[in-house]
Amino acid sequence: MKAKVAVRHALQLAIAIYSLAALPIAASWAQDDGAAASTAAKTGRPRRGGGGIDLETSFPQIASGKWTGKRLADGQPDIAGDWSNPIANHDNTTDPQGGIPGDPTSHRKLGPRSERAPSRVSDPPDGQLPYKPWARAVQQDLETHFFNPIEPQYIEPLDRCAPAGIPKSFYWHGYEIRQYPGKILFLFQSGWRIIYIDDASHHLPANIKLWNGDSRGHWEGNTLVVDVSNLNSKARFGRTAEFTTDRVHVVERYIFSNNGKRYNYVATFTDPTAFTRPFTVTVPARRWTLADPRNGWHFPLKPAHVAAGDHRLIPDYYEFMCIENNGGFGQQLAIGGAPISVSQTH
Amino acid sequence: MKRNSIDGRSFVALATIAALGACLLGSQLALASDSTGSTGKIPRLPNGRPDFSGIWQTLSNADDDLEPHSTRADAPPSAGYVEGGFIPYTPAALEQKQKNFAARGTDDPRLKCWTLGTPRGIYYPEPFEIFQRPEDLTIVFEFGDSVRTIHTNNTLHPVDTDNEFWLGDSRGHWEGDTLVVDVRDFNDETWLSRAGDFHDEALHVVERWKYLNANTIDYKATLDDPNIFSRPWTLEVYLYRHLEKNFQIIENYCYTLPFDKYYPYPKSEQPPQG
Repeated sequence: MKAKVAVRHALQLAIAIYSLAALPIAASWAQDDGAAASTAAKTGRPRRGGGGIDLETSFPQIASGKWTGKRLADGQPDIAGDWSNPIANHDNTTDPQGGIPGDPTSHRKLGPRSERAPSRVSDPPDGQLPYKPWARAVQQDLETHFFNPIEPQYIEPLDRCAPAGIPKSFYWHGYEIRQYPGKILFLFQSGWRIIYIDDASHHLPANIKLWNGDSRGHWEGNTLVVDVSNLNSKARFGRTAEFTTDRVHVVERYIFSNNGKRYNYVATFTDPTAFTRPFTVTVPARRWTLADPRNGWHFPLKPAHVAAGDHRLIPDYYEFMCIENNGGFGQQLAIGGAPISVSQTH
Repeated sequence: MKRNSIDGRSFVALATIAALGACLLGSQLALASDSTGSTGKIPRLPNGRPDFSGIWQTLSNADDDLEPHSTRADAPPSAGYVEGGFIPYTPAALEQKQKNFAARGTDDPRLKCWTLGTPRGIYYPEPFEIFQRPEDLTIVFEFGDSVRTIHTNNTLHPVDTDNEFWLGDSRGHWEGDTLVVDVRDFNDETWLSRAGDFHDEALHVVERWKYLNANTIDYKATLDDPNIFSRPWTLEVYLYRHLEKNFQIIENYCYTLPFDKYYPYPKSEQPPQG
């Protein structure tokens, strides 16, 4: 019974095992290999990261300005639907298509840096995070132990089913935005997040710390501006282990194109405890629709049952469970480190 | 005659009293009508359907034990929430339930912060928020990492019936102002209460969601599982809207607590120097 469910979640499982045991991941994408291969053929670029995740090496800037597209009844720009980043997964923050540093299973020869997508850090201009020396040392220690997690803290929290947090949720699998009067609901594969619109009067008390923070937003034309506080900052930016402290304050700008096809996520992090200056992370996103090729990473489409004999593919949200279906994560992850058993949750 | 004229004044007074009385009676009738769930002003979507959007929570202690019970160390007394009093377990299933009950301090999946399932998530004593559109209702549970979609877009259950979902597959339709939801395709991992009530993959739940008034939902769930129960049975709880100022659900990814301690970077209490 469990095995059946686990098969459905082989994707997530594979990702976790990959980051731990360094197993090749491509085999897990049987269902999506076709789409990935055809994407590779179309773009002429080698598939990176498996599963046709890396679809683009560059992306357009979108200017903040007026919104001329569809609106909801309450006046919000209509942004509901399925979205995903076209660049890469969370392997590497400053070289998103460069793979995981020190990956013992990778035989890929990297070409010139300019052939790959830019750093997710768009400011400072050099694409590097402006760490204070102590914070840089911590990040380096975590990154260098990624394939040799001799202590529990070297295991990426997402691999234990923790929420991907901010900003990683925007580049770990496709996600859905559902939109309501006064609220926007993000359904990520690793958790949910509510953005309260035009309710900036308060945040939660500062001592409450959350994986996804507390989000208050408002619209400026085509741009959703969100103030994020209350982050526990336990989630890392990627397998390269970038982090902030829980004193961080984030201002996100989601800049939507008026044709409704793309947006750029531009988030400024201010955290004087760990950084010498504020920095900005930019993540592009594109909308996925039924016109797109099936892709289990970006757009986990399921067939709906419309009527007898009518099994049209429509976006049909199936539950995403991680800790329940893949409780083995924790045990498998304890490579040479302290054992982490499910019973500890009691 | 004089008496008659006095009667005239009395008549006005009486009429006024009668009118007031009628108003009072009328309002009482309106209340009575609300409490039977027939009418009353309830939130509605632009398409006229009842709008269940909001943050809801039971005041019941159904999660402690669905059946009538005396007080005990881990549960206050309750007259129960099962129509007819008790869950009609088959003899073999009753034995298992009693084993579960004995081991409830360690075996309840909620202790691992795992998804509570359907219907338990609804009467678990922690809030959930409903987001509603014409095509679906999304239930975001504060507890754990559970998001449940009730599809109201006239789609049917998936043809593939062995997904074994934790929350089941929920397809709803409207019968007047009642949302009727058919839920199937479960796994056998969830419990129905802290008392060890349980089911297996054959569970079939039919929920009926109906406003009693603008801030109260009458929630009924009929559970059928021929492997476990000798007949279908129904539980009923009321759900109350959270009206507190600035109330919001707060993510409770409690399953992260066991490994939370491994991620102390950095301790904000004593920020490293450098």
